[in-house]
Amino acid sequence: MNVLGLFVRNLMRGPVTDPYPFGPTKTAKRFRGRIEFDAASCEGCKLCERVCPSGAIKFSKDPGGLAFDCWHATCVFCGTCAFYCPTGSIRQTDDWSLAHVASEKFALVEHGLIPNQTCAECGATALDTAPMEGGVKPPLTPEEIATLRPLCPKCRAKFMKARKAKK
Amino acid sequence: MTSPDVPVSAHGVSAHDVAVPETYTIPVGPLHVALEEPMYFKIDVRGETVTSVDINAGHVHRGIEYLATHRSMIQTVVLTERICSLCSASHPEAFAMAAEAIAELEVPSRAKYLRVIAGEVKRLASNLFNVAILAHLTGFETLFMHVMQVREIAQDIKEAVFGNRMDLGAICIGGVRYDLDAEIMMELTKRLDEIAPLVDEIIETYRTNGTILRRTRGVGVLTRDQAIACGVVGPVARASGVVYDVRHAAPYAAYPDLEVAARGLSDGDVWSRAMIRLYEARDAIDIVRQALAKLPAGEIHGDERPDVPPGETIAKVEAPRGELIYYLKTNDGPNPERVKWRVPTFMNWDALRFMLAEAKVADIAIVVNSIDPCISCTER
Ligand code: SF4
Ligand code: SF4
Repeated sequence: MNVLGLFVRNLMRGPVTDPYPFGPTKTAKRFRGRIEFDAASCEGCKLCERVCPSGAIKFSKDPGGLAFDCWHATCVFCGTCAFYCPTGSIRQTDDWSLAHVASEKFALVEHGLIPNQTCAECGATALDTAPMEGGVKPPLTPEEIATLRPLCPKCRAKFMKARKAKK
Repeated sequence: MTSPDVPVSAHGVSAHDVAVPETYTIPVGPLHVALEEPMYFKIDVRGETVTSVDINAGHVHRGIEYLATHRSMIQTVVLTERICSLCSASHPEAFAMAAEAIAELEVPSRAKYLRVIAGEVKRLASNLFNVAILAHLTGFETLFMHVMQVREIAQDIKEAVFGNRMDLGAICIGGVRYDLDAEIMMELTKRLDEIAPLVDEIIETYRTNGTILRRTRGVGVLTRDQAIACGVVGPVARASGVVYDVRHAAPYAAYPDLEVAARGLSDGDVWSRAMIRLYEARDAIDIVRQALAKLPAGEIHGDERPDVPPGETIAKVEAPRGELIYYLKTNDGPNPERVKWRVPTFMNWDALRFMLAEAKVADIAIVVNSIDPCISCTER
């Protein structure tokens, strides 16, 4: 096709660009954008922190429990954390609109807290993490998960040992 | 220049100084030679004609090979993806292939097809980008805009299927990280049907348009013998009649089951290299279509975090710019002991000495762009 023809055709079609930010634009369903963290389902395995290639994820001790922070300005949106997370507690949303002024740089953080709890069995203070389900055979039933949840790691281990002996 | 036997005036100006020297040295670069990448040439010209070329490298060395030895294998997959955004499917694939060879991992066959799809979509976008820049450098902005607009469809495909316009995040050691469901396959097929006729049109335009032909035919010629002497790879080699393609010579992933056309031209000029890229962009669409039709069901990766025992190996893939070779050495630790890659541009930029010999100053940018240089992966 000659270029003049192309030119006329493209001219008739009108602009192909979106008027963003003054108008709407499209976002792909699978777009891998801003990280979102769900503390309630997190096992506290810290795998996401370990695999993150840019060091965007940091777990730190907090008076109230275990704090999770993901620095959006450091994150490279590779999705490695979400891929390896065993529970799906960390995922990439389709939010890409992260432009910000420099003074907000340090506020662009996804923060979460896995709170402390008192063990229902021994009374020790421990993190209220989701019980580890990976590799458990046969899989944990919802009742077992509900029993395990309020326990500290030691009591959870005891429970699992007893469960293994039973089966 | 003052020679002792010429009388010198009180101001130090000799009679011979007014004579123009034989050659004149001009610096080209380090910014914006063709792409926004720092390549720096010292070029001697006589009048408008290039007499010699000196390539000065190292402006964007970031120490990525060193960084890789301080990252775990999983993190290095992501790091290699960020060496170069245009070949960002080929780098992690070659790295993962090397790791898989050491760990003796079998990649599930569905994953092999998905790797091909990721690689070919990248090739489509990358090649269109390069020929668009060619139009831009000839001052043909209308065509540049048009090709970039067509390439935008490939970008949309990447965003829809992989969730990112450049870094696909498709590869993991032992397989792939993304899967195709019926809905996304429909979308992909639809977009391919949309872009294929447009690429055909672009091929026709580059084949016949006078402006393009006048600026690219017989310019920056690399003969077959010179191509062999420089060891060039990829479209640069194939445009000079050296039909070498890793997908044929050492088929990897699902390529043994797919038909990949062997492209070759013999003139070795800027135009031939552009045409090879365009044909291969078109072929990429066909390869993705074949892969979609044959896509087997099953797993997309093996064990999520496979152990990579000590060992060393090499792996190679056909990146959009040509043969990409990875060397990997592992030890007992979690990090690679040594990763090294030989990128296509490293072989190809040497050939610029031949291509630019006797070239006109105005053609320098076009000739440099014709090797589709990727400085960020060459200097890592
Ligand atoms: S469960 Fe997921 S989010 Fe929680 S620490 Fe492990 S990898 Fe991170
Ligand atoms: S997306 Fe990648 S860089 Fe961002 S937090 Fe997750 S692993 Fe780290």
